[in-house]
Amino acid sequence: MTGTIRRSWFVSALILYGGAATLAQADNASSIGELKQLNVEDLMNVEVTSVARHPEKLIEAASAIQVITQEDIRRSGATSIPEALRLADNLQVAQKNSHDWAISARGFNTALANKLLVMIDGRTVYTPLYSGVFWDVQDYVLADIDRIEVISGPGGTLWGANAVNGVINIITKSAKDTQGLYVQAGGGSRPEDLADVRYGGALSPDTQFRFYGKYVDRGSEVLANGDSASDAWRQGRGGFRVDSDASAQDKLTVQGDVYEGHEDEQAGGTSDTSGENVLGRWSRRFSDTSDMGLQSYVDRTYISNPAAPLIIGGLQFAGPGIFQDELTTYDVDFQHRFRIGTANSVVWGLGFRYTHDVVSNAPSLAFLPPTLDRDLYSLFAQDEVALRPDLSLTIGSKLERNDYTGFEVEPNVRLSWILNPNQALWSAISRAVRTPSRIDQDFSEAAPPHFVVLEGGSDFKSESVVAYELGYRVQLDQQLSASVSSFFNHYNDIRSTTITPTTLLPFFFANGLEGDTYGLEFTSNYQVSDTWSLHAGYTLLKEHLHVKPGQTDINDALNETADPQHQFSLRSSLNLPRHTEFDTALRWVDTLHTNNGPVVGTVPSYFELDTHLGWHASDHLEFALVGQNLLHNRHPEYGFPDPSRPEIERTAYGKFTWRY
Amino acid sequence: MALLRGKRWLLMVVVAGLIATQALGAADAPTENQVQAVFLFNFSRFVEWPPQAFAAPSDPFVIGIVGSDPFGARLDEAVHNEQINGHALIVRRFRSISEVDNCQILFIDRSEIARLGQILAALDHHSTLTVSQADGAAQRGVMIQFATENSRIRLRINVDSARAAGLTISSKLLRPAEIIGTDVKEQ
Repeated sequence: MTGTIRRSWFVSALILYGGAATLAQADNASSIGELKQLNVEDLMNVEVTSVARHPEKLIEAASAIQVITQEDIRRSGATSIPEALRLADNLQVAQKNSHDWAISARGFNTALANKLLVMIDGRTVYTPLYSGVFWDVQDYVLADIDRIEVISGPGGTLWGANAVNGVINIITKSAKDTQGLYVQAGGGSRPEDLADVRYGGALSPDTQFRFYGKYVDRGSEVLANGDSASDAWRQGRGGFRVDSDASAQDKLTVQGDVYEGHEDEQAGGTSDTSGENVLGRWSRRFSDTSDMGLQSYVDRTYISNPAAPLIIGGLQFAGPGIFQDELTTYDVDFQHRFRIGTANSVVWGLGFRYTHDVVSNAPSLAFLPPTLDRDLYSLFAQDEVALRPDLSLTIGSKLERNDYTGFEVEPNVRLSWILNPNQALWSAISRAVRTPSRIDQDFSEAAPPHFVVLEGGSDFKSESVVAYELGYRVQLDQQLSASVSSFFNHYNDIRSTTITPTTLLPFFFANGLEGDTYGLEFTSNYQVSDTWSLHAGYTLLKEHLHVKPGQTDINDALNETADPQHQFSLRSSLNLPRHTEFDTALRWVDTLHTNNGPVVGTVPSYFELDTHLGWHASDHLEFALVGQNLLHNRHPEYGFPDPSRPEIERTAYGKFTWRY
Repeated sequence: MALLRGKRWLLMVVVAGLIATQALGAADAPTENQVQAVFLFNFSRFVEWPPQAFAAPSDPFVIGIVGSDPFGARLDEAVHNEQINGHALIVRRFRSISEVDNCQILFIDRSEIARLGQILAALDHHSTLTVSQADGAAQRGVMIQFATENSRIRLRINVDSARAAGLTISSKLLRPAEIIGTDVKEQ
């Protein structure tokens, strides 16, 4: 959590500026011939597995979408959402320390990464403090996640502000699909303790519920010299979900979660986190092609972080303290889909969000004013026109009104061409914005009356992107599918840190950068046999940001990106005899430029390997042994190279899962 | 909140379990697609078609697939050398509904679900048993929908749709299935 308001980044920037500046293919014992001998009822009792992913559902999507299925998550051995997100080839995922992660799509994965929109069951989870995501507090019983959709590229038209470089949509299962008792428990070198419990039942034939609890205790990572990074943490959470088929057309959902966590901080002290949310959704289906949904939620989050003193060049500008933030969000959304004639499929919606943010400032770190209420109104409409049976054109735009910059327009045009049932081409041009967050305008380091060295810019406006995308998907046969997406993005008004004329200080945030990025994302699945599947992924990312003419950036345009140019992954899922499964995931991440102010620093490129060995002892009981980051004793994934940079250790854990 | 202090103990049990208990000789679980392929074959035996479903006694019994083919060779294997009332079972694959002509069973892959309305309209007045694995297909008028629940294949059968097409589904299929009605607004 603390990685977010990490001050060392700014402070170091200042100091540097002022100073020196197998695989045996298992035979499938159940042949078609044997299955044909069974009667209908026996056939319905045959337990089936599905190693196959379902790219066919995606073949027609006109965006760079990748879907992580429940089975993918289970077989990866992931214990948290960030770990599961490593399964999406179109994301950059780096673990900073035991509890903090940097996750982005198409670059800009800095300590304050801010260009991704993340939702859990329709609830937006990025923080308006800096438009980033506190990944440590986003968690769930992973077995109850239905799928995670990861869309790289702008999603502003449908999803709204902050969907600049991508959207992550975490969708949990309906209560109907999580009936019965589920218990998972385990531990090892990390996580040290892991326990999930869920129970689902029925209130009536049409109404089901579940409630769950999860507890995780994770140890510390280490420093390069082998010392503990003192960043151990533990977190408990619980929640419920009720789903009702109120009528043939109507579905109702009510769900909610609470959590509380404590995280040791490398710099000393402990951060506390807590939160609660409750969400209600009503959806009504009018026909095959028409439906509507109304959703509302209330979400409260609380963080309390120790704030170090502000010391520059041995001089203390402000003493230590505690920084706290309590954010309450009220949100309501309406969406309606219908057809006009046979060729036009229209979706439109309205949204309103009110946030009430209260910070308790530390001497060295402040957001001013401490209490801020913000309104956000949005309206969107999109029409998908079937030009020909194989050619569809989507045109739409979002119109948003926010308290910082007034109205923002986020249009897109998409073209999808189905060459045949197994091949599709798509292309898109879209614009998206990142509207200002509190850090951009309200930040103050240190808090007055202490001397202010860095502050938000009162004129800070939205960052914007215009993205050009071209993609191709193919399903060669049931065995082999592949997808490639390419993009060229032009960014304007990206955040810079500039100087006050004549007095130099305070530095303040402005929109002094612009530039281009381009790259491609490749992903492929190969079903070698009924029992063995392979997956390969690759991303290329080139970033060219520069300071706009007439502007200054004390960081030389080096502090808004921290990304690998290349990364690839290779995964294997193998079903072995006797209900055993073995999965391996190899990844390679190119050198990461994690600059500190204008000074270039790097994380060396690395290979890493995760494995999962599972055994289904019976219909109810499953054992698993998981190894993570097996190739090195420890390796860094993120951060400026200094002795205090945490490194990620090789870990292993075991667990059992009981379903009844 | 220190739960489960005995974690290292647990790890040992898991390892021991994996090494020691490799004695269960049960068959490996087949895939969804294998079981569904066998179901498609079984439907030919547990559904009764009206006589006019075949133009000639020598016509084959056709299981069609429209959209991506999730079965591959498994379905061909399931119907190989089989016949129903003298009609040889064959599998045919169609890229779109416009290519579909007379078939007794049509599997509509979920890749075609966006065009379901069009497909069902085209099959109106035909005695074709429609089957799909797409979510919600049975509510939308498909006669039999495969659903996977708790790692088992379930059948959701829209009896009204089947009856409207003049098909009679055996109680052997209906008994273990979930009976679904078409949403009123659908038609």
